Amino acid sequence: MAGLDSVTPHAKPSIDRKAIMQKFAALAGLVLLMIAFSLTSDAFLTVSNMVTIALQTSTIALIGIGATMTIITAGIDLSLGSVLALAGVMAAMAAQFGVPVPLALLIGVATGGVCGMFNGLVITRLRLPPFIATLGMMMIARGVALQITGARPVSGLPSEFGTLGNESLWRVVTETASGFPKIVFPGLPYPVILMAVLAVIMAIVLRKTPFGRHLYSIGSNEEAARLSGVKISKVKVGAYVLSGLMAGVAGIVLMSRLVTGQPNEGVAYELDAIAAAVIGGTSLAGGVGTISGTIIGAFIIGILRNGLNMNGVSSFTQMIIIGLVIIGTVWIDQLRNRR
Amino acid sequence: MSAATGAHATRALEADIDKPILRACGVVKRFPGVLALNNIQLDLRCGEVHALCGENGAGKSTLMKVVTGQLQPDEGEVTYKDQPVRFDTLQDSEAAGITMIHQELNLVPHLTVAENIFLAREPKTGWFVDRKRMEADAQIFLDRLKVDIKASDLVLSLSVARQQMVEIAKALSLNAEVLIMDEPTSALTESEIDQLFDIIHDLRRQGVAIAYISHRLQELSRIVDRVTVIRDGGYVWTKPFDDVSVDDIVAAMVGRSLEQQFPERVSRPTDHVIFEVKNLSGAKNCKNVSFNLRRGEILGFTGLMGAGRTETARAIFGADPRLSGDVMLEGKDITVASPVDAIKAGIAYLSEDRKLNGLSLKMTVKENITMANIEAVVRHGLIDNTAEAQAARASVTKLGIKTPSIDQVVRNLSGGNQQKVVIGKWLFRESRVLFFDEPTRGIDVGAKFAIYQLLDQLANEGIGVVMITSELPEVLGMTDRVVVFHEGEVSGIFETSKTNQEEIMQYASGVKRMTM
Repeated sequence: MAGLDSVTPHAKPSIDRKAIMQKFAALAGLVLLMIAFSLTSDAFLTVSNMVTIALQTSTIALIGIGATMTIITAGIDLSLGSVLALAGVMAAMAAQFGVPVPLALLIGVATGGVCGMFNGLVITRLRLPPFIATLGMMMIARGVALQITGARPVSGLPSEFGTLGNESLWRVVTETASGFPKIVFPGLPYPVILMAVLAVIMAIVLRKTPFGRHLYSIGSNEEAARLSGVKISKVKVGAYVLSGLMAGVAGIVLMSRLVTGQPNEGVAYELDAIAAAVIGGTSLAGGVGTISGTIIGAFIIGILRNGLNMNGVSSFTQMIIIGLVIIGTVWIDQLRNRR
Repeated sequence: MSAATGAHATRALEADIDKPILRACGVVKRFPGVLALNNIQLDLRCGEVHALCGENGAGKSTLMKVVTGQLQPDEGEVTYKDQPVRFDTLQDSEAAGITMIHQELNLVPHLTVAENIFLAREPKTGWFVDRKRMEADAQIFLDRLKVDIKASDLVLSLSVARQQMVEIAKALSLNAEVLIMDEPTSALTESEIDQLFDIIHDLRRQGVAIAYISHRLQELSRIVDRVTVIRDGGYVWTKPFDDVSVDDIVAAMVGRSLEQQFPERVSRPTDHVIFEVKNLSGAKNCKNVSFNLRRGEILGFTGLMGAGRTETARAIFGADPRLSGDVMLEGKDITVASPVDAIKAGIAYLSEDRKLNGLSLKMTVKENITMANIEAVVRHGLIDNTAEAQAARASVTKLGIKTPSIDQVVRNLSGGNQQKVVIGKWLFRESRVLFFDEPTRGIDVGAKFAIYQLLDQLANEGIGVVMITSELPEVLGMTDRVVVFHEGEVSGIFETSKTNQEEIMQYASGVKRMTM
């Protein structure tokens, strides 16, 4: 009797395979970009430039991870850039006030978490669409950051405040015969290490924990997840808290690099973060996305910026090119997914 | 039968009204793994109401999609007004005069009636919509239907019945010569149905050919001239309605006796009550419902559309708010405020619409099976891949899920196998009472048999099985007892072996009710 049943359509490749292909395509794009830029500029493929790229990309990558979390649930977080600024400013003000630097930095990260919690509660309790809730938070956080600082940079910070953003691990410097320092290995900047560690942790959270599985199931079919006993509200709030925390981390890293609290930093960064996630194969419809994809996406953007800079392409032209890349990658992805 | 005879008499006065207008010959349509249409034929004549009968999944909708250009036939031919045609899109067939009114209405709620009728065909003055002319034209079509709807009304302010009238007005505005109606009465009240039938009679008199798809065989006698029966994608016969009885149609639709359709039951009901509901009222369409479920039995829930079967199950499961009443599992009161509570207590609800509410189509077989009980495969806070894979493989083997791998995305499975994945999900949760809402809807005939066997097997293992179904043959063939619902209340509970289709229908339609 099960005769008809047994003929399952095998022809369509599974989404898993598609996800791998997507990642592979993005990775191939990354490699192609690197080859192209190393041919056009000798300074591109050097250790110090690679470290620079990683450092420049770390901010987008960090908030990109946050964006991935919420987009997987079929949501969005538009407040990333503003929360980043508020978190950084809070940390800077705390340090300026005399709070020990490590604690001040934690205050910054926690500020991000609180903003994320607010987003999550507005979305689940007031039942507002994530777009609206986080659009509101985008303005609120930016407004608070500007208000508490009087729109002026928070400066005069202790020098340790700059450690996280400016120093590196395994930096090797020797002295030349003439007495000038020579950088043998620029070392791994702390922001890059932080990005790598958080990416691995978040990838494990997504892939290996029930919470991560629940994020995917909500994005894939929220009602099915609810009827399966997934606590939708808790999980969603969790996603936005994580997103806020990532913005907080990005905020302290960025402000530490500048050794000032800049309330106007990070404008429109959320769009870079969303772009990184989308280039990396995360679907805005929810249910699909990986951290590794987002990191690759962030590096594609970072390398494009760096390489184009080296080739003397103006920042306006860069914007045009990156815009076209976003449209192009997602279009290719759609073509592949079409039946 | 008098209405139909009257209509015949009127029609005889008009010349050449019986000429064939739309014909399908030897149409074959294949989907991956399924022969959806196998050498189907259909001929529609001007001024006739032609019923298309068949079970769910028999191929009625597929045939209509082929005729209206939404699907292309693999073999065979469609002729319209004696010309072979091949419509590429629905718009092409509409332009030619073939209009389909879908069961789920295709109207834009936030636009007015006139805007809906002329959507994408708005009359214009220069670059702008000529609103006055649009509303005046729309009103002409509405008035022809003798319905009290204003062209400037917003569609969302209209009842479902009135929205249906708007769809018909839209069809008229397209100069439809062939009108296809898919289950037009399923959401209508008696008086609304009368009104609809008057309109259908009028249209027929004007020479419109009407293809009428309905499961409500009883009401066919009031409007239908001829019947075509299809079964499992194949053509059975076409006959004048006056020459056949409803029983003939049912026999032709089913094509085999009940014994062959359903497996022999292994499970036997005992006296041990495992689950009981007392005076349950829910926020939605569930009033004072009481019933019990015994070990080893399959309990049926039946009733017409909107009778409250699904709402009752959802209230028990905590998916919809519950107002009052008690739910007892193995004699113990359980409090259920949300699906989480119900699942913890051991109750599972397998929703009516698998794709909408039951499965995460983008996720894999493995991930769907463990979704409701992921904690069972978690070690030290992390998902244990080996344990999860083992659990999934065990389900696949036990339920006979045909899938190339447990990492296959569920979207790529057939309907029957998708249903088994949902069942697997709840068995992995070790649920003790399972509510199956229309478990065989939209799955292949062969796969249905496998699902029935599975239900019987579960009951035999001591799991409480409640089967919600609107298919009376399924009630009679599979259940031990049946609870009949009418307008949110239980109107009767019967031993299946001591009742019949007619009695169940009387209680389902509210003609009779049991005092409880």
